[in-house]
Order: sequence, then structure tokens, then C-alpha cells
Amino acid sequence: MSDVRFLTREIGSLGKPSWRVKTFAGRPLEERDFEEAERWGKRLDVDGHEELVEGLHAGSLSREQVDDWAAIYALRLLEGAGLDVVYDGEQRRTEMYDHVAAFARGFEPRGTVRSFDNKYYVKAAIVEPPSVDGPQDVEEFEFVRAHTDRAVKVPLTGAYTMEDWSYDEHYAHEGALGGSAERRYEARRRFVSDVATNVILPNVRGLAEAGAEWIQIDEPAATTKPDEVPLVVEGFNEGTRGVEAKKSMHICFSDYSALWPAVLELDDCLELQLEFANRDSRELGTHDDDRPGYAETLRLFKEHGYPNVGLGVLDIHSDFVEPAELVRDRILYAVDVLRDPERIQVNPDCGLRTRSWDVVYEKLANMVQGTRLAEHELNRAHAAPAGA
Amino acid sequence: MELKAYAPGIYPRSDALVQATRDLDRGRVTQEEVDGQLERDFRELVAVQEQAGLALLSDGMLAWQDPFRPLADRSEGLDARPLTRFLDTNTFYRAVLVDGEPRLREPVPAPNLPAGKWLATLPSPHAFAQATGGEASPQALAANVLAPQIEAYALAGCALVLLADPFLAREGGVQELLSSLGELPQQTPLALQLPFGDAKLVLAQLAEAPVAAIGVDFYATSVDSLPEKYPKEIMAGVIDSRSSALESPTEIAAFVEQLAERQPAGLSLSVNGDLQFVPEPIAREKIARLGRSQTTLQEAV
Repeated sequence: MSDVRFLTREIGSLGKPSWRVKTFAGRPLEERDFEEAERWGKRLDVDGHEELVEGLHAGSLSREQVDDWAAIYALRLLEGAGLDVVYDGEQRRTEMYDHVAAFARGFEPRGTVRSFDNKYYVKAAIVEPPSVDGPQDVEEFEFVRAHTDRAVKVPLTGAYTMEDWSYDEHYAHEGALGGSAERRYEARRRFVSDVATNVILPNVRGLAEAGAEWIQIDEPAATTKPDEVPLVVEGFNEGTRGVEAKKSMHICFSDYSALWPAVLELDDCLELQLEFANRDSRELGTHDDDRPGYAETLRLFKEHGYPNVGLGVLDIHSDFVEPAELVRDRILYAVDVLRDPERIQVNPDCGLRTRSWDVVYEKLANMVQGTRLAEHELNRAHAAPAGA
Repeated sequence: MELKAYAPGIYPRSDALVQATRDLDRGRVTQEEVDGQLERDFRELVAVQEQAGLALLSDGMLAWQDPFRPLADRSEGLDARPLTRFLDTNTFYRAVLVDGEPRLREPVPAPNLPAGKWLATLPSPHAFAQATGGEASPQALAANVLAPQIEAYALAGCALVLLADPFLAREGGVQELLSSLGELPQQTPLALQLPFGDAKLVLAQLAEAPVAAIGVDFYATSVDSLPEKYPKEIMAGVIDSRSSALESPTEIAAFVEQLAERQPAGLSLSVNGDLQFVPEPIAREKIARLGRSQTTLQEAV
């Protein structure tokens, strides 16, 4: 048996630097924005970062150039933290839903809806079958590919989440009043299928043709309606059909018990990258009682044997920087439950966009260090002579 | 036939109020400025309802952050903390933590609306208890929090208290609800609304509930689920508060005629839940169409 080696990855979004946010909002940059560009440029050893700082001072950079710099900075941050698999922190995307809804035909913005308290989100409606003229994210991928020698994983919003987060003025409109549950389900199925086939698949194929080796489908809405998990699976299968790249799915803040057995029908899905740390204790330990955030869901992976698990080891909603030893214990516990380290890879719970880059860097660096500690423990145990 | 129409529940905030509350969180405006915009939104909403010819006016609960918060904030023994998804929507409420005997300290102020011309929306005792994760009983919440709130509203001229229960149709609990309703004062008529759920399994059990009307979401409940000659008024949820699609008054009228054939004790028109799940301009148009549906039906009669 060869040594255990886990892959460390991000999940998707990082916060955008203030100089990128203000440039796109048309707000004036302040001294602290220039300082931030300079500080991170030096810290991450970004080639030519002086050009960015000068350009920001002079106001001579186009939005596209600012986006390029933001993508390079994000790449360097993830590389600097030591990740094996990287992307650009979704620096060019507004937000995971709007990124797709604003690109594909058939979606029309409808306005603002409350998320909670004084937080709101923009919601669109589907008004006709969705379609695109071509793949959406190939240029973004090619830029990333050209600027890193690490493995690359491309995150894409899944068809079911696009359906669940949209109003439906096309598929379910007629006969909705007094209609049957079956009719509503069928309308949602057609909506998911059309997004998968007409929007997601062209992008996935385009990315694969451009050399993308790994596609991650994000479905945070996967268990919002537990009886519709089969639609999540159908959306994944239709949206990645016939594509040879590695494929995985990310789900977070959901009721994972609703995923099985439906996810057994996922075609060639390498793993489910799930959020665990948010539910877990911050104490060290590798017993069931020490790891309340992991025990129940890992047993589902164990019981069903498919797919593999992307183990969320960083809580993205907290500035608490997980010590490397805590990451280590979370991984060792997962290995203990699954009894197969090859079924496990390591990542944060979700995208880290709500944390500052300082916190993100520390968290990710500790994640990598904790992963190495876990590998060391496992390889040492394996190497120890019998009876030792 | 007099067919009344209502738009109870939390109404969406205008873009101006959304921006004001965002700015408040960022320290860019004062609470007084937000209050000023709240008042303008409130007046707009009243005008929209009056123009639509609704029977009773709702204040839209524009300052309510969720269906439970003001009551929890104004009660001993209750606190609002973890974010919890509201049903299968992308809107969240803060679950209610219980750290003592629940007791309303100070009622939520009544809206500035003419006596006898307005309705209030409150969580049902069962829904409130669900929001506490079962830590407080429906009876205790009814007797010590909701009852004094309803009395305060009654004194201010409230004509109808609508008790919203989004959990009952999905999760059951009719017996717990029924045993708690006796704790509530009856001087103001009560209605029970079942937002965003298929009421099929609970309608028969609710036939004898001490309320004047039952609100049913007919975007989740089929007509066949309504028992023949139902002994209560049905407040028919014919406007879909979760859809941006605009309803046709003609289709609504045809649907209500179907409902009438089942001969419930009474019929009125309503939204199927809080309109806050659509943006404000859409909610405004939906209220207008609710009013037009009412007119269409009355003219037909």
C-alpha cells in the first residue's frame, strides 16, 4: 500500500479585494485600497503587482484588467496557502446565481427579496426555455489555466439550484391554481432538465474541450425540498452527460440524510463535497463524541459506499482559525469511520467569500498543515511493524 | 353575495426601504430616516389596498424581521437567535430560544389604522411553539404572549386576527393547536391561515376549531381536498405569494366558482401566505388583481 496523500482544495468563492469592488461600483479608491493591493502583492509575491498599484493610483486600468489582477491575486493566495487544487475565487462572477441568470436567455430579473433581517437577494424569473449561445466560463478557465501550474477545479452552479432559486413564469404558470402536486413536480422537472441541457451542459462541454480536468457542480439548494433530490441527480447527470472530466458535487448547509439513496444514481460523480465543520465541536479528538458534526453523515457515506467524500474541515461562517491539530483530528476521524482513506479529500465547508483574506489565508494554511499531520499519522501507523 | 378580500401577513419592503435598512446596517443612515421610509411604505401599502377595495387593511408588518421576532423581543423568557430556513424558501427566520416562562412584557403597538377597518396577523400558538423547537408549549404561548397581544389589538380596533400556521399542514399538530386556541380571547374574530401547504389532511380536523375562517393555499391544495359543505368560511388563497407570475382575475373567478360549488359556510379571497416572497412592485400588482378578482366575482353574482 502506497502512502496516504490527501488532495487539498478550495470550494469556490473568495471575497473580492476592496480595489476590485470599488472599481466595479464606480466608487473612488482610498489610500487603504492601494495599501491593500500592495500588501497582498508583496505577501503573495505577485509578479508585477507594482503595475497594479500604479494603475489603481492612476485610474488607468480597465475593468477587465482589474478583474485579471483580482483573479491572479486569488490564485496566488490559494497557492500560497499550499492547496493542491485551485481556481480564481470566482473573482469575475457577481454571485453564483446571478452569474448564470444574467448570462443565459430566458431569465429576467424580478427584484429584491428578503433573505433575513435586513439582508436581501435579487431573484429572477424563467420566462421561456433557457438557452445560451455558447459556453460561459471558458475564458475564465483559460486565464486560470494559463496562470497556475496547480491542478484546477471549475465550480459551476447546478441546474436544480438555478431552478429552485428562480421564479417560474413559464413551466408552472398555466393551471397552477388548484393544480396537483404531480403537475407541480413535473413542471419543476422540465425546468431543471432544460437548464441542465441548454445552459449547464454547453458550458461543461466547452470547459472540457478547453482542457478543464475537473468540474464541480454546486447545489446548495439540493435538499431544500427533500422529495426533489432525484431532480438534483437528474440535473447533474444531464448537465455533465458524456463529459470525460472529473466531476463532483458540492452541497452545504443542508439535510444530508435526504441525499441517499437518490445520489447513488449520480453518473460518475467523484465525490460530494459537504459542509461538516459548521456543525462540529472545536475540541480535539477522534472519537464519535468529539466529532458531532461528522459522525452521522459519514456513516451514510460508509453505509452506501458511493460517492466519495470531500470533507469540509473549515467553518466558513466564523473567523475562528481552526488549528492544524483540529483539522488533523477531523480527517483521522473520517478515515476511522470510512476505513478507506482513498475515499476522502479535504476542503473548506464552502466558499470563503464572507471572510477577510487574512483569515482565509490562515485557515487554508492550517488546513493544509493539518492534512499533512493526518497523513503523517496514518503513514506512520501503516509503517509501524505488526504488534508495535 | 358579499365577497371580501384580504392581504394579511408580511408585505415586501420597497426598494427605498431595502436600501434604507441596508444603509442602517452600514451606519450610513439613522433609525429616524429608516422610520420615515417605513411610514412612507406603510402609507403606500394602505393606498394600494384601499384602491383594490380590500375589506380590511393590513399594515404589512413592515418592521417585522420575521413572523416571531417582535413578539420574542417583547417577551420575558424568549429570545431570538439561530437562523432557520422558513419552510422550503430561501428566506430565514430566527428561531425562538426559551430561557424562562414566556410572558409578553409589552405588546407590539397597533398600526395607525381606523378602528374596525384593519386586520392583524400573528403566528398561531402551534406555529410559535414550533419556532421554539418545542421548548415552549402552544398553551403557554397562547395564554401569556398571544392573548395579551390580541387584547391590545382589540382595544385598538382590530377587526380580525389572522393566526398564520405554516407548519400545521406539513407537519401536523392539529390537536396541540386546538387545545391552545381556547386560551385566546374571542372578542375579535379569529381566522387560521395555512400558508404554503397542502391542507388536505388537516381540513376535516379543523372543522370545529374556534375560529371564524380557515385560510387555504390553493396553489398547494386541490379543490377536491375541501370537504363538501365545510362548516367554516374558507379564506381562499388564490394569489400565490411565492410566484412572480401575475394571476388572472378571470381565472381566479372561475376557480372560486368551482370552490363555491362545494358549498362551504362562506368564502373570501386572500393571498396564500406573506407577500414578502415577491418583490414589492409585484406584490402591489398582485393586490390590485386580488381586488379585481373580487369585483369580477361580485359582478358575476
